[in-house]
Amino acid sequence: MKDYFELQYVLTNRKIKEAGLTPLLGSILGLTAFVLLSEYFFHKIEFAKYLVILVCLSFQFRLSEKDRTDFLLSTYGDKLKNKIRVLENLIISTPFVFIIVYKSLFPEAIILLFCSIIIALFSFRTSLNFTIPTPFSKNPFEFTTGFRKTFLILPLAYALSVIAINVDNFNLGIFSILLMFLITLSYYSKPEEEFYVWVNVDTPKSFLMKKMMIATKNSTLLTIPISLGLLICYPAEYNLILLFFFIGILFLWAMVLAKYSAYPSEISLPEGIIIAFALSFPPLILLVIPYFYPKSIKNLRLILND
Amino acid sequence: MIKIKELNKHYGNNEVLKEINMEFLRGKIYGVVGENGAGKTTLFRCIAGLENYKGEIISQISPLKNHLGLLLTDPFFFSKITGKEYIRLLCNARNKKNINIDQKNIFDLPLNQYASTYSTGMKKKLAITAILLQENECFILDEPFNGVDIQSNIILTEIILKLKALNKTVLVSSHIFSTLSDTCDEIHLLRKGEQIKSVQKEDFKLLEQEMKDFTIGNRIEKLELK
Repeated sequence: MKDYFELQYVLTNRKIKEAGLTPLLGSILGLTAFVLLSEYFFHKIEFAKYLVILVCLSFQFRLSEKDRTDFLLSTYGDKLKNKIRVLENLIISTPFVFIIVYKSLFPEAIILLFCSIIIALFSFRTSLNFTIPTPFSKNPFEFTTGFRKTFLILPLAYALSVIAINVDNFNLGIFSILLMFLITLSYYSKPEEEFYVWVNVDTPKSFLMKKMMIATKNSTLLTIPISLGLLICYPAEYNLILLFFFIGILFLWAMVLAKYSAYPSEISLPEGIIIAFALSFPPLILLVIPYFYPKSIKNLRLILND
Repeated sequence: MIKIKELNKHYGNNEVLKEINMEFLRGKIYGVVGENGAGKTTLFRCIAGLENYKGEIISQISPLKNHLGLLLTDPFFFSKITGKEYIRLLCNARNKKNINIDQKNIFDLPLNQYASTYSTGMKKKLAITAILLQENECFILDEPFNGVDIQSNIILTEIILKLKALNKTVLVSSHIFSTLSDTCDEIHLLRKGEQIKSVQKEDFKLLEQEMKDFTIGNRIEKLELK
């Protein structure tokens, strides 16, 4: 078991080094970002405690993936596998529990710890055998694959908007729009294989335009039920609803551009910091987009042989 | 026509292609053979424009990459994309819309299933179908027969011959010599990044024998099988 965790430690350090940081600096920065982000959510969102718990559980669900736990089972046996999994989940939950306790939410902290242990004892197949239908089949691939990967999270955003209307909490409704955009931002977080860019006949400019158009069209389709619901129930707040909708679209464009400005590498620390700054002060997005655009064009020019 | 002049490719200090000179004409099928690591895939990637190189690759069709059907040895598939969506993705990339994909599913693939669940052979057949539907002028098929069942290999051979009849340029690599001798007009032999020789159809038998002699040598005797 000690070997296993030593290996995980080495792998984690390797990932931090790949992001261009020393492990110590990376850990400090990561923890600081986590604390600041949590503080931000608790400050801005009424239901932040649920969000924190949900994020923690989603990480733990990933670790309970069947192939992964099967590997642990075949390598370490049943008893040791359970010990490893429980310990892994407790390590993951530590910063989340710390934040919740810091906010004096003791029952929630106990529930999170209890759930962490329970999840560790089960395995889940995260990939379903049947094909999940998607409205984005005509224009693969980001929304086609992303929609399927986040299939279980999407209803949460819709449910939040319904709750918002029922409890007459407009802010929660706006949060559900932003949550939907946050989910769609994740569709652009990983770079695709070079082949999938190379295969396009477009120029870098038309390639980016096409990507941004598809992102706009598809995210509009996903958010329109929420936006319409809020517009009907809060017609006087139409300007705020539209404002947040457009902010969401701008962030999506920035994300597309951030991805290709780092391409073919993954979005790393510099791009991440810029996006995080823009998230904390949204008007910055108007500077971020023109900053990423020429960098994306430059990278794409090499692959699209323009 | 594609003309390669004095092509050189390095990865750091490692020279993977040395002074390659080749010419590929329309309506002809060209084979590229060599051991693993001989430089076949790198050569294909250079022609496709996926690698930087020294030397010249000139094509009558410009830009070549927009008219090139590229089948990679091990095609990558997104985890939650169906076969049909994969074909659509590749056709959309070439602005080919409104294609009846179901009708053109000649390998009878389960197109509504996730491509990542396909077997190796099925993945290859899917990738081949997609580049065929892109209506390319030139094709690079890196080990198209690898992992594909005999029935589909027969179909694939006929497809390659049909592409020749349609005046397309086809480059194929394969580790099964017969698949090349059945289809190719010329075969280029690569060894450790060097172009050892280029052989016309009438001399394929000699090339096969030469490759056998070189490859086998006295290796079997070394085993001292009893």
